[in-house]
Amino acid sequence: MKSNELKWALAILLIIMLAYILPYTMLTDVAKWYGSFLIWTVLACIVIGINFFLTKDWK
Amino acid sequence: MTTSMVWWGIIIYILIALFIAYLSRSGKQTNMGSYFLGDRKMGGIVSALSYSATTYSAFMLVGLAGLTYNGGVGALGFELIYLMGVSLVAFFGPRFWVVGKKYGYITPSEMLGDRYNNKNVALVVSITSCIFLIPYSAVQLSGVGYLLQGMTNNEISYSTGVIIATVVAIVFSYIAGIRSVAWTDSLQAVFMIITSTVVVLMLVHSLGGFSEFFGSIETTKPEHLSVPGNGFWSFATFLGMTIPWFFFSLSNPQVSQRLYMPASLKSLRIMLMGFMIFGLIYTLVAVIWGFSAVVMFPNLEKADLATPMVLSSEAVPPILGVIVMVGIMAAAISTIDSILLTLSSLFARDVYSQFRKNSTDEMQLRVGKIVIPIIAILAYLFAELELDLIAVLSVASSAGLLVVVPSIIGTFFWKRGTAAGVLSSVIISGVIVIVLELFKLKPLGLTSGVWGISLSTVLFVVVSLMTKAPEEKANEFLNNVKIELNKFK
Repeated sequence: MKSNELKWALAILLIIMLAYILPYTMLTDVAKWYGSFLIWTVLACIVIGINFFLTKDWK
Repeated sequence: MTTSMVWWGIIIYILIALFIAYLSRSGKQTNMGSYFLGDRKMGGIVSALSYSATTYSAFMLVGLAGLTYNGGVGALGFELIYLMGVSLVAFFGPRFWVVGKKYGYITPSEMLGDRYNNKNVALVVSITSCIFLIPYSAVQLSGVGYLLQGMTNNEISYSTGVIIATVVAIVFSYIAGIRSVAWTDSLQAVFMIITSTVVVLMLVHSLGGFSEFFGSIETTKPEHLSVPGNGFWSFATFLGMTIPWFFFSLSNPQVSQRLYMPASLKSLRIMLMGFMIFGLIYTLVAVIWGFSAVVMFPNLEKADLATPMVLSSEAVPPILGVIVMVGIMAAAISTIDSILLTLSSLFARDVYSQFRKNSTDEMQLRVGKIVIPIIAILAYLFAELELDLIAVLSVASSAGLLVVVPSIIGTFFWKRGTAAGVLSSVIISGVIVIVLELFKLKPLGLTSGVWGISLSTVLFVVVSLMTKAPEEKANEFLNNVKIELNKFK
């Protein structure tokens, strides 16, 4: 695996870890739209953004 | 919504889809690559829409909305972690694509067989896919049966619904192979995303706009806005459901085969990005749909009723209700026809060719075409019989197909992987997954998927280290990957 691929892979892995951890720790008592609902949506958007940059040079 | 409206909806949908399928015919479909992969010349947007339609079955607006109704926001996390997992395509997609072109692979299992230098690998992996995906298709067919039966108060019978779905799926795959499947898929995807988004906006509007909408969930069912919430989404359940789906883009051949089809890496990129954006919107729509049902009908006996109740409620005009219902049926069909086509290519390429050595491409195509209706009829019979085992295999399908993932990763990233490693990991872990599902066992509280992937990884690594790797083939294959990738990046 090329080194820049590895960098992106680790970034995605980190975000996925957050998607498992945050809702089950900090957000368990936040019964609002800006709790788990927002965090999962935002994390998914970040992953989509990473994919956008990761695949930028595909021709 | 009257039964005659539903019939008209179905007829109009089928006519439009048939017309599009007819238009999609281009060139002569006289070889495997043309019929099953569209000559590896698929455009990015059609690929993206078709990938979306194939992935998102009737499950989204029925199952995911139901999961949201039952357990709340955890359903969103579950589906979005799946979506994040599709990032695997950014890493594996170009690799599949370059070797597909270089070696002429038609199926992912054929690639595994060649890379591990053992035809039995291709045979076993493709049979495993059939074992889990035919029951999965059967359950999709039953879904159509129940949906039509439920929405028309039995006036359209369960069997009629199942027969319609089976026949339409066969016809869509037959007209022009993957081309007709991809174009009818695209029609369905566009249709579905537009109509379901309109319905959700109307629902939220009728419930007082977004702030009031969430406000009423906060007061009536606050536990639905966090996990584990009412206990439905315990961490173990969440993990057990997300892990098999996280690897879906690699483990399920009807989507991984798509990685061979785009015309260029640019098209592959459009497929990936288009799918991710589609998936995000559609997931939010399905989850908000489920939440609307929570607000509108807080005390339903079964969560599966959430969608039919919403569709027949006053907030949704009947005509729109019919359109979305036909859309859900089309979503099931668009998943089944892709599976049909993939499984018949697996059979022709990896099973038939084993028994008929020196079979030509033309002979394989002929066999593939004969197998399409046979698999469809098998799925139909399973759907009619409603056997317990079939339901078990269908539920186990995401977990069962997961056992192939270590071998797929090894194909590109581990030279030491061996055919014995693949065979033992796929066969032993596959059987264990079926046993766990059959007897509803959860050792240590973990689901069959978690056990399947863990066991298959251990077996693949340990058995590979104990056996001799196909060094020459592995070096040649991996060198070619490197050379080809450099050409395109």
